[in-house]
Amino acid sequence: MLNYNSPINDKKEYSDLIISEIEPIIKINIRGKTRDFLTKIGKSLSIILPTEANTSSENDNLNIIWLSPDEWMVYSNNKTNSGNYNYKLEDDLFNKISKMNYGSVTNITDQWVMINLKGDKIFELLSAGCPFNFNNFKNRKGTVTQTLINHIDVIIHNKNINDLNLFVRRSFSNHLWSWMNDSAKFL
Amino acid sequence: MFLINCPYCGERDQSEFSSGGEAHIVRPKQPTKLSDDQWAEYLFMRKNIKGVQFERWNHAHGCRKWFNMVRDTSNDKIHAVYKMAEKPPVK
Repeated sequence: MLNYNSPINDKKEYSDLIISEIEPIIKINIRGKTRDFLTKIGKSLSIILPTEANTSSENDNLNIIWLSPDEWMVYSNNKTNSGNYNYKLEDDLFNKISKMNYGSVTNITDQWVMINLKGDKIFELLSAGCPFNFNNFKNRKGTVTQTLINHIDVIIHNKNINDLNLFVRRSFSNHLWSWMNDSAKFL
Repeated sequence: MFLINCPYCGERDQSEFSSGGEAHIVRPKQPTKLSDDQWAEYLFMRKNIKGVQFERWNHAHGCRKWFNMVRDTSNDKIHAVYKMAEKPPVK
């Protein structure tokens, strides 16, 4: 079920940097290996699963990001509310994939929080506490990485130039939010 | 601090990985027929050599996949990285 008690529910603006929580959006974790799985997912979502490492694919409504050779995360572009298309999406995937034993479908909407970062200084902010080298990452739209920021696991999706979506586990989200705002003051 | 080339994600910082110890230790086919000493030998005893060693590593904060690595423990030089199902480079 979608959780409407957003853990952060805030937006901060600094010079050349805007940080905001975007919730609720649906997030679904899908896992599978077989060719049938890849075909079924492609037909159900009208997107081809990205099989190349650290990449993503998208259409008007959804994004699919690569997490590992047999694991992806689907998330919606728009905020959602109960009873709309996104519940149907989860049911569809569950019925076509999980029930038919092609792979697994798990709704992780409540487990991950999405934070959007925009501005010229986002990579300066992230680099303050992250071992990942953003040099190639920041110029390639659609790239994805899983790494650590201030010792917290995150998934980073480079949505556009200087516009990225960052996913963090809900229980760590407040701590990361505090760290980001604290670090942003020193940029 | 050193860089590890994950066979799935590419080059990443060592802090994203966790070590899984010595690689290519074969589980005994009939554990019930082993003595306690033989079982302990399989379960606990590791070479832990100074020099080139075959190791298992996990990209814990990335793709979460296990893989093997040939690493010189004396200077952290990585000679090879290969996936779990692949054969190790010649020793």
